[in-house]
Amino acid sequence: MTKPTLLAAALLWAAAAPAAPVTAPHIEAELVAEHTGWLAGAPNWVALRLKPEAGWHTYWRNPGDSGLPTTLSWTLPAGWKAGDIAWPYPSQHKLGELVNYGYDAQTLHLVPLEVPAGIDGDFTVKALAKWLVCADICIPGQAELSLTLPVSEIATADPLWSPRFLDTRARLPQAEPLAGTFAVVDGEVRLQLDAVELAGAAAVEFYAYADNLVNHGARQRVALDGTVARIAQEQSAHFGAMPQTVEGVLVVQAGEKYAYAVAATPGEVATVAAAAEVRATPPASGSAQPSLWLALGFALLGGLILNLMPCVFPVLSIKAVSVLESRRGDASAERLHALAYTAGAVLSCAAVALAIILLREGGQQLGWGFQLQAPAFVAFLAYLMLALGLSLSGLVQFGTSLMGVGQGLVEQGGFSRSFFTGVLAVVVASPCTAPFMGTALGYALTQPLHVALFVFATLGLGLALPFLLLGFFPALGAWLPRPGRWMETFKQLMAFPLYLTVVWLLWVLGRQTSVDAVAIVASGLVLLAFALWLWGATQPPWPRAALALLAAVGALALLAHPAIRISAARAPAGVTGTAGTAESEPYSDARLKELRAQGRMVFVNFTADWCITCKVNEKVVFQNAEVRRVLAEKNVAWLTGDWTTPDPAITAVLERFGRSGVPLYLLYPPTGEPEILPQVLTPGLMIEAVAWVSSLERK
Amino acid sequence: MRTNLSILATLLLVTGLAQAAPRLGEPAPAFTLTGADGKAYSLADYKGKYVVLEWTNHDCPFVKKHYKSGNMQSQQKELTGKGAVWLSVISSAPGKQGHVDAAGANALTQSRGAAPTAVLLDPSGDVGHQYEAKTTPHMYVVAPDGKLIYMGGIDSVPSSDADDIAKATPYVKVALAEAMGGKPVTNASTKPYGCSVKYQ
Repeated sequence: MTKPTLLAAALLWAAAAPAAPVTAPHIEAELVAEHTGWLAGAPNWVALRLKPEAGWHTYWRNPGDSGLPTTLSWTLPAGWKAGDIAWPYPSQHKLGELVNYGYDAQTLHLVPLEVPAGIDGDFTVKALAKWLVCADICIPGQAELSLTLPVSEIATADPLWSPRFLDTRARLPQAEPLAGTFAVVDGEVRLQLDAVELAGAAAVEFYAYADNLVNHGARQRVALDGTVARIAQEQSAHFGAMPQTVEGVLVVQAGEKYAYAVAATPGEVATVAAAAEVRATPPASGSAQPSLWLALGFALLGGLILNLMPCVFPVLSIKAVSVLESRRGDASAERLHALAYTAGAVLSCAAVALAIILLREGGQQLGWGFQLQAPAFVAFLAYLMLALGLSLSGLVQFGTSLMGVGQGLVEQGGFSRSFFTGVLAVVVASPCTAPFMGTALGYALTQPLHVALFVFATLGLGLALPFLLLGFFPALGAWLPRPGRWMETFKQLMAFPLYLTVVWLLWVLGRQTSVDAVAIVASGLVLLAFALWLWGATQPPWPRAALALLAAVGALALLAHPAIRISAARAPAGVTGTAGTAESEPYSDARLKELRAQGRMVFVNFTADWCITCKVNEKVVFQNAEVRRVLAEKNVAWLTGDWTTPDPAITAVLERFGRSGVPLYLLYPPTGEPEILPQVLTPGLMIEAVAWVSSLERK
Repeated sequence: MRTNLSILATLLLVTGLAQAAPRLGEPAPAFTLTGADGKAYSLADYKGKYVVLEWTNHDCPFVKKHYKSGNMQSQQKELTGKGAVWLSVISSAPGKQGHVDAAGANALTQSRGAAPTAVLLDPSGDVGHQYEAKTTPHMYVVAPDGKLIYMGGIDSVPSSDADDIAKATPYVKVALAEAMGGKPVTNASTKPYGCSVKYQ
């Protein structure tokens, strides 16, 4: 072969095989063109084709929590210009708590090339492609890719790649962006879009371009109503300055999937109800929230039922005593007592609401009962219970005035005592939720401040209602025994449930912290008892009073001890701590998904050590032999989410189900949405629920 | 007495709060972990010092980028030289990429010429979850008062290419220099980049 023929053969080869795919670990890369030749003076489309192995993926322009977007740097003939990659919309890849945006199948990364007019011959474009390909581990890769094509007068579609270009274009966002508004409030990014394109959408997903806007792992809550879509997602932990615009891609599922570019400007956007996303199909009316009236009704009913929940048991002593004592007065005094009690309950409920809402504004993940997640508060409650117990035992008399200021209090017949009994009822009731209450409070926390306060106050009213009625309709209390000398004995007897409550609180404290903390708080309790003994049943002389105050302050000062903090190493409830629940596993979103992927039914128990309702259900229902047999028979997996100490992940799940506290019981069928079980369970109810949910599956 | 107690109750409601996710300006989550040298290390032991926490996994390409180039070692030497404490934390679960025992961790430190104050082993991932460490590397800086002043990436250019180190803003070094100079940290929260932490 002569030299010219060799050259011709080489050229021919180059033309026939413009580029061979490069094989790198776990991925294949290639530069491909839509047409078989370059069109001079016109835009030409080329693409980086990446084909990861099954189980591996590459990344979108915003890679999500980890990963890197694929990049291209071009080496082009003079006068040629390459545009940016046109990214088809991505899919989500979950890895534990991380969520990444990318591609787990062959993907064409389309790039427009501007080819100058008036050229002829063969031209080669080169690109250095860099990517990160990941399964559970990641491998960065790169390749020098090139593509040589002749300039041609007419566009001839490449039979192999042209159809793939068409497929890819269907996944590109429509160039004309949908306009909308966004707001970043309460730690979440909210987006509202109103466009005819959204009519008939069954579901939408939003992918932000900025990687520091939303927490990619947090669930997107979506409300669809006609042409309006509202989307809310927790803001990123790395959220920087407030953006001028929020841009991204909206993937709309309406039969097929369509993608639209989104450009939103700052504005006001209402939040999306936590319950909205629980429905697989969006509600036609757009909102799954209860109305204000319904929420108020639920709050009243919930507060009323709260009186019967096991968690209020500790305060039962105080209530019983105060009801009996109130019978001593005349009718008008009784009414005033009832009103004072109601005011105490209503105001302290509103105060708790205010604290929760203000702290949530500050970004804390809180719910009803949150204060019991702070060991210092648990210790303080133990102090309070001991002090009240000792008062009932007769060691100390709180009715007398403090430092002579409260002389009026005694004359007013102790209305302030009724008021503080109301406050106490709320403080002690705070570790639990009752039926109806969860829905009402979950609703309240998504509302403006005044509405939330109103709902919480109604809850307090519900809690106080039995006593209010008793005060205004004394006939209702006719069945109560006549007051007499026996009342003193009864009062003293009622001190013992309070002492038991102290034991329970110390146990909670021990679970949250350590034996050291329990010892410190127990010392504090002794110091407090000493203070109260010094104070005695009558007003003591000032040196003794001063010493008593000193001892009380000392007891309170102990609460600041560093040992009374949540320890990192605490055992989750119900996993190692509770006998007979050994087969339950700690809850995580990932584990739930994994178990459901195995086609198993899953029961999720959201609990806390300080939630007595939860503990009662655990003892009575979850340790019931028949229940356990049925669970085993149906191969129901069992996850326990422990909210004893703060856990934003669990708070998020509670919110998703419109709740603000525990207990929450979810029974997941192998596919589909979970069934929410009542907060007061019985073995029969539990067995029925399991049977019903598993029968659902067979249909 | 009653009144005082209830005022205190309200105060506790507002202040005696539970800590949630790691937050800038809030106390960094306390922990105690066993080091590769067998000793126990507590964050509380370093009150009064700046503490740098580095989540690491020696097989992760992003970690390799910073160790093969010597960038991580030089930052460790420079910052510990300025009195800071540098704790490298390994949260890879047994059987997952990057998991090592104490001997393995010591061998890595030696072979790479690394100079952290200590390498801490967190195979259960508890401390990693407490800090919500997402990637390797994922960096945190704790001020002498125990408060978190930086969380995020090792630098500003997310790539696995060592050539990019020179172009990047070294966030951790800058944050420490600013804090030690009495200034607020400019970029206190950045998006970390790297491999996912290989939790259980």
